[in-house]
Amino acid sequence: MQRYLVRRILQFFLIVFIANSLTFIVPRLVPGDPITEFLNNQQLLNPNPEFETWVADYKAKFGTDRPLWEQYLNFWAGAVRGDFGYSIISFPQTVMHRIGVALPWTIGLVSVGTLLAFLFGTSMGALLGWPDSPQMFQWFVPVLMVIGGIPFWLFSFVVIWIFAVELGILPPAGGINMLDVLIQGDTLQARVVSIAQHAALPIFVFVLFGVGGWGLTMRANLIMTLGEDYILFAHAKGLPESRIFLRYGVRNALLPVLTALAMAIGGIIGGSTLLETAFSYPGVGSVVGAAIQQRDYFVISGAAFFMILSSALALLLVDLMYPLIDPRVRYQ
Amino acid sequence: MTKKRAKPSKLNTELILGAAILGAIILFSLITPIFIDKDDSLLGKFPPNVKPNSVNLLGTDLQGRDIFTTLVYAAPQTLQVGVVTGLISLSFGTLMGVLAGFFPGRIDDIVRFISDGLVAIPAIAFLMVFVARMQNPSIYVIALSIACLTWPGSARAIRSQVLTLRERQYISIARSNGQKELEVLFREVMPNVFPLLLAQFIGAVNGGIGTAMALEVLGLVPTRRFLSLGLMIFWVQRMGGVLRGMWYWWGPPILLIALIFAGLLFLSSGMNVFVNPRLAGYGAAAKRRTAARIKEFLAARRAAAKGMEPPDEDAILEVRNLNVVYETVEGPVKAVNDVSFSIKPGERMGLIGESGSGKTTAATAMMRLSRPPAFITHGQVLLEGRDLMSIPDEELRRLRLKEIAMVPQASMNALNPVMRIGDQIKDALIVHEGRMSRAAMEKRIAEAFGMVDLPADVGKQYPHQLSGGMKQRATMAIAVALRPKVILADEPTSALDVVVQKRVMMTLMRLQRDLGAAVMLIGHDIGLMTQFVDNLGVLYAGRLVEWAPVEDILNDALHPYSRMLIESLPTLTRKKALIGIPGMPPQLLNLPPGCPFAPRCPFVMDRCREEMPEVQSPQPGRQVACHLYPSHTALPPLPIRDLIPEVLAEGLVPQVLPDAVAGD
Ligand SMILES: Nc1ncnc2c1ncn2[C@@H]1O[C@H](COP(=O)(O)OP(=O)(O)OP(=O)(O)O)[C@@H](O)[C@H]1O
Ligand code: SF4
Ligand SMILES: [Mg+2]
Repeated sequence: MQRYLVRRILQFFLIVFIANSLTFIVPRLVPGDPITEFLNNQQLLNPNPEFETWVADYKAKFGTDRPLWEQYLNFWAGAVRGDFGYSIISFPQTVMHRIGVALPWTIGLVSVGTLLAFLFGTSMGALLGWPDSPQMFQWFVPVLMVIGGIPFWLFSFVVIWIFAVELGILPPAGGINMLDVLIQGDTLQARVVSIAQHAALPIFVFVLFGVGGWGLTMRANLIMTLGEDYILFAHAKGLPESRIFLRYGVRNALLPVLTALAMAIGGIIGGSTLLETAFSYPGVGSVVGAAIQQRDYFVISGAAFFMILSSALALLLVDLMYPLIDPRVRYQ
Repeated sequence: MTKKRAKPSKLNTELILGAAILGAIILFSLITPIFIDKDDSLLGKFPPNVKPNSVNLLGTDLQGRDIFTTLVYAAPQTLQVGVVTGLISLSFGTLMGVLAGFFPGRIDDIVRFISDGLVAIPAIAFLMVFVARMQNPSIYVIALSIACLTWPGSARAIRSQVLTLRERQYISIARSNGQKELEVLFREVMPNVFPLLLAQFIGAVNGGIGTAMALEVLGLVPTRRFLSLGLMIFWVQRMGGVLRGMWYWWGPPILLIALIFAGLLFLSSGMNVFVNPRLAGYGAAAKRRTAARIKEFLAARRAAAKGMEPPDEDAILEVRNLNVVYETVEGPVKAVNDVSFSIKPGERMGLIGESGSGKTTAATAMMRLSRPPAFITHGQVLLEGRDLMSIPDEELRRLRLKEIAMVPQASMNALNPVMRIGDQIKDALIVHEGRMSRAAMEKRIAEAFGMVDLPADVGKQYPHQLSGGMKQRATMAIAVALRPKVILADEPTSALDVVVQKRVMMTLMRLQRDLGAAVMLIGHDIGLMTQFVDNLGVLYAGRLVEWAPVEDILNDALHPYSRMLIESLPTLTRKKALIGIPGMPPQLLNLPPGCPFAPRCPFVMDRCREEMPEVQSPQPGRQVACHLYPSHTALPPLPIRDLIPEVLAEGLVPQVLPDAVAGD
């Protein structure tokens, strides 16, 4: 058990190390350099007579005047301290600051959305996989398939248009309306209400269009499980249908889906970029979206670090948790 | 084993639907440009933000470009990105997959290492950073980067398909005919991998379009030189098109994207059914048909049960004309046909037959546990006079385990792997006997384990913690926990070594004596069987060809097949050549008329090939289905000598068993 833990944690560090090294080195093999590019653009708008020294100055601040290996070492030295350098666009601001402010928004939005989609989706999948479910349910399968196959963030536009633009019942963008909150005396309740109102539409998109994948996975697992010999024997034991379905079918079919859930939660930071951008939600996704449009390279790579970290953490979590939920898998 | 190659099933609706959607989009984007002037419409010379009208079918965007024209030019570009990505990813994946599958070892390890590693690295994170670094990346560079991250997935799917194909017989034949590995690869393996390749390609196109679109919408792709659906969305987002209520701007591209994805999706799911026709059984229509059939057969059995003959007072279990059929894609497989017999209380009956003769199918049907594609078409199974085939579900459920229990054939897999063994007895006890005190429950569980010589603490363990023999005993403990009156034991000792086999059998027989239960013991080892049972039924091609007390069968079997089985049995007094029965059991699909044993029978007559022999009773307490009766009263001696040359011709070399084994 202890050796397993140690080995698994070492593996986690190895994944984080390799993945980040790759994302650090490979892009730098491409010719070009984001700082020069940025300053070139500035130069066009607002000519600086001492352009050369300006560039040198900037490069020194960002450390890109050093040889690659030194930059690489500095990257790791900074990363372990949570320092990913500065934003190019909003210069004195650090990358960590920009991401740190946005992170709680993303985690809140996406974890609630993912969990709700998971709950609805797996229940629906379980119902669809149940041999005795009403026939009419079967027509949900192609619907779920189509919904699950289309990138869900595309529906953001439709939802914003209907609920925010045409009906005007929910805010179309942002995470909280501070003006409203202040008018109401900045109470906790006012804040919660405003946050919930802003999160309602993105979460709606998550749930309505995220259930497809969960539902289909669960259904497929359940169909497989219901074909197992132990289900036949459970029937031979004279157990009632409902108990077989829940305790022998759904329970066993759920195990692999839980792994997928952990992975999905690990993908939180990366997975919501497009959704957050569509809703201008103040999370990491929007920060990344803005950084990409402004070609703020260090913010992008800092965000990538967090994406890698969170998905590696999820993998670690799955491996540590799985033996607890599935007795067949042991720590070894 | 299959000599003929997998026959592709008929085109299915999904495939057609998918192809139709994508075809329509492609056709649309090929034909429309003929009628519109691209330069005119895309230069932004129209007034901005015009609602749809007769000049601008879908209005104009904020830069005064005609939205309809933009759409016409953007859609094929989006498809093109997907196809390019798909092609790159697939060709590399195929190359590596085929190499890894055909030359396992180093390449295989490398492919696996890379694909395992890529799972851990979020692709979008890497792409973001990579593409952001490039100045004006071309869309093909982006396609290439995406493909670099997706090929290992295809490689692994193709690898496993190649591995399976390699094992196939016709490939071994090709190889033994002296064809070179590479020749085999191109002539025999590749044509069979093709359908999978197509499915993988569609998947790769889908992934390519999705990922490229995400990068476009985020603004990672140069926005000036290129036109695509993703970029249309990018501009909508950038210019606040949604909040301005310009549904005609963002609506059409989203609809088109959704259609493309839906088309690809139908295509790939249709493709999967095409590759693997078994999946067809899971669709809505198939499910409805199945449910209707089950209902129909149940109704028919209920109707038949109304006018049935009164039950035999002496028997505890009576099987009458049991028929089970597997509805397969190729047609109905009649696995159990008009099987009838009866068992008295406390009696031990054996049911033997070659593999595939329908023993498990019959036993499963006797508890009405058959699951599609198996259907019980008609017949009665009377347990103390109640017809298990027609009573209401709830009544049947209460009888299962309490009155009639089963030790399934795959008893190794009969236990829920994630539930403690004790809990698996407990839930049965609670369901049938209601809640009881903790102590009483513990006592009952310990008692059940005691009956099969397992220590009580096995209850705390999970199935994977037990040995095969222990699992089989645990299953048996569950089956006997409620002291049922009838136990159906389906090869309870298969997959165990000889010593354990004997012990498990002894346990079962002791239990049977202690409980006074009637047992139906299923097996194909007639030697083992005859030591334990009172009556023996012989199943051949789903028919009970003979049923009689075991001594009678041993001394003078009436059916040629049973006689040949007995003759092949070494005994203490007869140490002699053990010969197999020449020929193979028949295919149950499209069985020719007449006696199914006719092709192998030394007594075959013309009549046998045309007319199915009826079950008859030449002697009281015996049944046989053979045209030799009633004109004969006993079976003539086997023309064994005439048989031997034929046996040799079949390549079945007679074996002589050593005394020790023969006497065991
Ligand atoms: N799912 C299925 N679909 C189609 N045919 C089936 C299916 N399962 C079994 N069969 C057919 O039914 C016949 C009887 O199978 P069954 O499992 O009852 O044989 P068995 O006598 O128990 O054999 P064994 O000794 O190998 O256990 C076989 O010939 C097989 O081809
Ligand atoms: S019916 Fe004919 S073929 Fe069949 S077993 Fe009897 S003699 Fe042989
Ligand atoms: Mg069997």
